[in-house]
Amino acid sequence: MSETILDLKNAAIYQRESLILSEVDVTVNKGEFVYLIGKTGTGKSSFMKTLYGDLPLTEGEGTIVDYNLRTLKEKDIPYLRRKLGVVFQDFKLLTDRNIKDNLLFVLKATGWKDQKAMDHKIDEVLDKVGMKSKGFKFPYQLSGGEQQRVAIARALLNDPELILADEPTGNLDPQTSVEVMEVLQDISKNGNTILMATHDYALLLKYPSKTLKCDGQRVFEVVQKSV
Amino acid sequence: MSTSFEKYQKRRLISSYFSVVISIALVLFLLGMLGLLVLNTKKVADHFKEQIALTVYFKDSAKEVEMEELKKSLAMADYTKSTTFVSKEDAAEAHSKEIGEDFMEFLGYNPLQNSIDVYMNADYVSAEQVDEIAAELTGKNFVDEVIYDKPLISLLNDNVKKISFWVLIASGIFTFIAVLLINSSIRLSVYSKRFIIKTMQMVGATKGFIRRPFIWQSVKLGIIGAILALIGMAAFLYYLDNSFPELDLAGDIKILAALFIGVFLTGILITWLSTFFATSRFLNLKTDELYY
Repeated sequence: MSETILDLKNAAIYQRESLILSEVDVTVNKGEFVYLIGKTGTGKSSFMKTLYGDLPLTEGEGTIVDYNLRTLKEKDIPYLRRKLGVVFQDFKLLTDRNIKDNLLFVLKATGWKDQKAMDHKIDEVLDKVGMKSKGFKFPYQLSGGEQQRVAIARALLNDPELILADEPTGNLDPQTSVEVMEVLQDISKNGNTILMATHDYALLLKYPSKTLKCDGQRVFEVVQKSV
Repeated sequence: MSTSFEKYQKRRLISSYFSVVISIALVLFLLGMLGLLVLNTKKVADHFKEQIALTVYFKDSAKEVEMEELKKSLAMADYTKSTTFVSKEDAAEAHSKEIGEDFMEFLGYNPLQNSIDVYMNADYVSAEQVDEIAAELTGKNFVDEVIYDKPLISLLNDNVKKISFWVLIASGIFTFIAVLLINSSIRLSVYSKRFIIKTMQMVGATKGFIRRPFIWQSVKLGIIGAILALIGMAAFLYYLDNSFPELDLAGDIKILAALFIGVFLTGILITWLSTFFATSRFLNLKTDELYY
């Protein structure tokens, strides 16, 4: 019944020549909320980068939202990313334009044409993350938590099949982390699939869910208690 | 408060574009002036060449009809630009004026000859061709001698060749510097946005879509720079034309228009290509490589 969104079999992940992770077998089904934990430097980010095409997959097999990561071509990467929503630790908003234009850029870049539909969509996603009234502000005028909410809103624009969140709370204080986490939880409850890399174990305890751990060049599923 | 801050930020941005525009304008201006020089070397050289006259002296025995005939046939010849007939009386008068006394009075006769000054078309002013023409004219039995300044002609031709060569070399070097300078200013402004470019890629924008506004932005700067350069060129040309009207620099409107359009298009082309390559450079890098 459950549809597979992400499937890696015996994959190895390299940063240039150095091996980061090997024998990776990971499956994520539609609607799941999956944590990826591990200490810094264990390969969480490299793993995420491989998923959104910033690192090539050279060994093993991998499919993500119907794209084969082994045969992924440079010119297909933009189209793969349109099916994913990526949230970064450092937000990565376009610093030279305001929030609304940030979101508008994404819509225009991904082929939206109708101005009304775009305005509507922007209002919709900003509403979801509780930032509807801040559309005219520039990223530098917002707090970290607010910027991250905008980044999440941006990830939601194209109704992605999978949201990849690479340490979305890594730059935030505990209380703001919880707020951002609530947003992600809400989105997950609406049926979105989310893969979230984090080292914030407090969040795991508060919002338990399926958890993968990176350690010793391996990725394996762990049961909450053993975390 | 915030609006004044934003205005301040915008002003700072404009001033950074300003230097790019100025460098484009200066470089294109130099390039245009060189183009003008290249286009006009021939004209200036021709101007001097056509000052050179070949003087045909007639024997005193030459009949009026023969002289008249030669004058006509010279006027028909391809190499002739213009001819002036100087009768021996006119020559004597001019000579007397020059030396300040009437030499015929103590000589008792006029030793000067009837002559024709032949001004040639620039294309025929080379040592060999002038020799040929002179030989042909000397061959006629009513012609006494043909006189022309042979060393001057070879000197002129050699120098024109030398100058044209160096002007071409200089234009080549300047074009190269132009491209290099504009390229590096644009590279810098794209480099400052490399993380924005990367982020745009992360959200699924295609390379072409990201590149387009960058190219448009620099082409706009290129156009402004080119227009400034053209205004400068027009002003300089106007000044030159007023100071040296005999060179007829603004004479050929078609060539001038071609040069102006050429400079304008060069401005667009260089900025377009530079931005294209500069953005490609960062578009093709992986995220981690941006930090090196």
